[in-house]
Amino acid sequence: MAKDLTGPRPVAHSITEVENQLGHLWARAAVVRAEAAEAQARLVAAQAEAAARAASALAASQATSDSGGHHVAARTSVLNLVVMAGEEKTAAACARIIAATAGRHASRSIVLTEVDPEGPAGLDARIEGLALTASAGRAETGAEMIYVAARGETGSHLASIIVPLLVHDLPVALWWPADPPFETHRAERLLPIADRLIVDGSAWSGCGLNVLAQLAAVAEQRSLVVMDWALLRQARWREALASVYDAPDLRPHLRAVRRIEVAYAAARPGDPDGETNIVRPLYHVAWLASRLDMSVVSTLQRQDDGRRVATLRQAGHEVEVVLVPAESELADGSTVQVRIASRLRGAELVGSVEAGDLTVDVTILDNGRERVRRSYAAPRLNEGDLLGRAVEEGAADPVAVRALSTAGRLLGVESGSHRQAIGC
Amino acid sequence: MSPSRATTPPPVARTALELREAAAEARRRSRPDPDANPLREGLRLERVPDPCAFVLFGATGDLAHRKVIPAIYQLWRTNLLPAEFSLVAVARRPYTDESFAAEIRASLDKYSRVQPIDAAAWSELAKRIVYHQLDFADDSAFDRLASRLGELDSERGTAGNRLFYLATQPSQVTEIVRQMGRVGLDHEVRGGGWRRLVVEKPFGRDFESARHLNHEVNKVFRESQVYRIDHYLGKETVRNLLVFRFGNGIFEPVWNRSFVDHVQITVGESIGVEGRGAFYEETGASRDILQNHLLQLMTLVAMEPPSSFQADALRDQKLAVLRAMCIPTAEEIKHEIVRGQYGPGWVEGEPAPGYRQEPEVDPESETETFVAARFSIDDWRWSGVPFYLRAGKRLPKRATEIAIQFKDVPLRLFRDSAGDPAPNVLALRIQPDEGIMLRFAAKVPGLGLDVRTVNMDFAYDTSFVVDSPDAYETLILDALLGDASLFTRADEVEAAWAVVTPIIHGWAEMPAPHFPNYAAGSWGPEAADQLIERDGRRWRRI
Repeated sequence: MAKDLTGPRPVAHSITEVENQLGHLWARAAVVRAEAAEAQARLVAAQAEAAARAASALAASQATSDSGGHHVAARTSVLNLVVMAGEEKTAAACARIIAATAGRHASRSIVLTEVDPEGPAGLDARIEGLALTASAGRAETGAEMIYVAARGETGSHLASIIVPLLVHDLPVALWWPADPPFETHRAERLLPIADRLIVDGSAWSGCGLNVLAQLAAVAEQRSLVVMDWALLRQARWREALASVYDAPDLRPHLRAVRRIEVAYAAARPGDPDGETNIVRPLYHVAWLASRLDMSVVSTLQRQDDGRRVATLRQAGHEVEVVLVPAESELADGSTVQVRIASRLRGAELVGSVEAGDLTVDVTILDNGRERVRRSYAAPRLNEGDLLGRAVEEGAADPVAVRALSTAGRLLGVESGSHRQAIGC
Repeated sequence: MSPSRATTPPPVARTALELREAAAEARRRSRPDPDANPLREGLRLERVPDPCAFVLFGATGDLAHRKVIPAIYQLWRTNLLPAEFSLVAVARRPYTDESFAAEIRASLDKYSRVQPIDAAAWSELAKRIVYHQLDFADDSAFDRLASRLGELDSERGTAGNRLFYLATQPSQVTEIVRQMGRVGLDHEVRGGGWRRLVVEKPFGRDFESARHLNHEVNKVFRESQVYRIDHYLGKETVRNLLVFRFGNGIFEPVWNRSFVDHVQITVGESIGVEGRGAFYEETGASRDILQNHLLQLMTLVAMEPPSSFQADALRDQKLAVLRAMCIPTAEEIKHEIVRGQYGPGWVEGEPAPGYRQEPEVDPESETETFVAARFSIDDWRWSGVPFYLRAGKRLPKRATEIAIQFKDVPLRLFRDSAGDPAPNVLALRIQPDEGIMLRFAAKVPGLGLDVRTVNMDFAYDTSFVVDSPDAYETLILDALLGDASLFTRADEVEAAWAVVTPIIHGWAEMPAPHFPNYAAGSWGPEAADQLIERDGRRWRRI
């Protein structure tokens, strides 16, 4: 639960003013805390009618105070969240997500927008303080939201605004809700500030593959934890795909995969323009390939019929990869089905995971005979869940790192360099 | 205490073959399983158990309604249970599937930690509830249960996987297990599903009864199928203790006899027996808290780093601590173990009756409601470091804390300081106000060189403003996933009893203290203070 402590919103026009207002905010909180403590002491005194009772209450009160007690109005110490919102509308949407998940997120969020790029340089900032409690009776703590609108040329020097506003010695998460402008001066200046980068590959424009390739290159070049919501969203799919091989007698098939086919929802049959974002379908392939020690033989290529194909190699045999646009009621770019076909000593196994209504459904065909059918609940994660997960992860998830790296290789990124734009 | 040992020494390899097997076992435990599913690697929170039937014995009882079923509902609500899941409720009373589901629904309103109840999630879970009336002594009822579970495999897709949860009276455990063995409910068939048994504490009343219980259970279930649940180990902050010790590099170098003066562990409760007088008369603080919670906390503090976070690697190290503990002699029981019983007093501003005035309690009862002890661990890390443990009911506050007090500085440089800086203390608060406090000396601002003690305090609440899962949610999910790390192994239970049983027997042979010997709302009998003050130390004011 989050409560805005700030009241009327003061506006600041410089970093010094922002810092002063933050100081005032927490000084006010400290006064409130002291007043609450005094009120509590008066209450204890009034209630203590008998000497024994008063002594006992005092002891209890003292003990609570000694152990930290409640009504704490201290800033949490988790991380700084910097949001590259760009425009006001996005900033408002991001702020809503942050506030909705306030209990799980940062000490300080800095939401940056740019206005009037041709106008005079300057900044307008306002601050919100949030009081957070997990449940009634538990300690209260605080978090801050700083909104900064950079005007004119100031918008080109956002790092100079961000750095002085960061809470000292806490990790920095950089959230880029739209297409991150990798390979630009802005990214070059901002990425070194961050310890982790939060993006949503499924929201990128076009097919998303060019930005994905850039992201993979950035992740290999920099010491940066990348949290892509597109990959986080697939957690239940991965669980379902893994379950295909849980039976010990089916596990050897993991070394004999011949074909991986991912069907995805496309706005028009065959996705003739190739403009459907296919970051999520590609991540399925990348994750499987990275877990199953597959190397890239030929990178992903678009075919005339709209399919995209690639070839992988696993333990001496080739694995055919096909991404197929499909008609579906799901949102464009959503995964409709993942099929993994394997052949081992003449036995054919097809594991299939299909999107259902709030489920993912697993079917295993063993030599054409249905062997297992089960469902996993897979409610759609909302943006609050995704942001919460992204900021709660303390370190790079090695599985995600390898999946992103393999996605990069499928797109032709070699040795951490991405030189050629990938057309959709 | 004298260095006599626990009565169950670890098996020692005596032949070359045994040595090779032991070495191979150690290697096997420390490396990844080559047969593991590589797609499972790295799947963490999203891991969902296999399709299964959760067979809950004692389903109409208090534990089931307050803890087990709310935990299952919460796991279901958060999509951590498989769609092919059945809750098979087993008890004596007559219910239909629907009437039992209705009763569960009502108790969720009372006991679920997340309110209101999610109607859609409940509706789906309710469809998966099956009630099976069964008298534990009735052979035919177990036969029917076995065939009912077989039917569920095909009707509900539970795939032959079964978790049997015994939320029953301890006295019923052996009979239920015997019956399960008779009808083959323990049999794991290759490709036909796993079978697991969850048993609630207490695990026996003393060393002999614990060994007997383990023997009876292991006659039917293999040890790897048995999950002994002590909910304390599922608490978030107890698990945090492992993270604190083995996830931080800076503490391990000072976590030993060279730097630690002593360790204090307190499990304090402000409540009395809360209507469970008859139960408490049979247990007392030594069986209720010392044998399990206190010794578990002590093993987590004192254990060597495990080679991995695998269940047996962890439990081997805990076991090593218990086996290195010195067993108190009769003389030491008299002087180094203190028992107490509360009399009337005031707790948290309210009058509280004495233990002997509680319902279902013998007015002449000699059951202890408080225990304090000084233990030592005879190993290289801890030799000479006393562990002071205390637990009691009707203490001034509810507080569980582990405090590591470090040795004093070798030379006091600031002799002219008005204040005398106290030695460093690292306090791990388990409950409430979970957190970690480090006490150290700081200079008082001013022209002089006054030194005072200050606290650097970390509270989980202020960094992670989210509700932690209930211990039962953690443990039930672990059992369904086959992760036994937080469950107690048979040899661990027996080793803990090997420490506590001589104390209980020793007390039985000596006259009880003059009970009651502490007032409700105080920190226990004076003898507990004397126990630690004799060593020139004091209990922490918590």
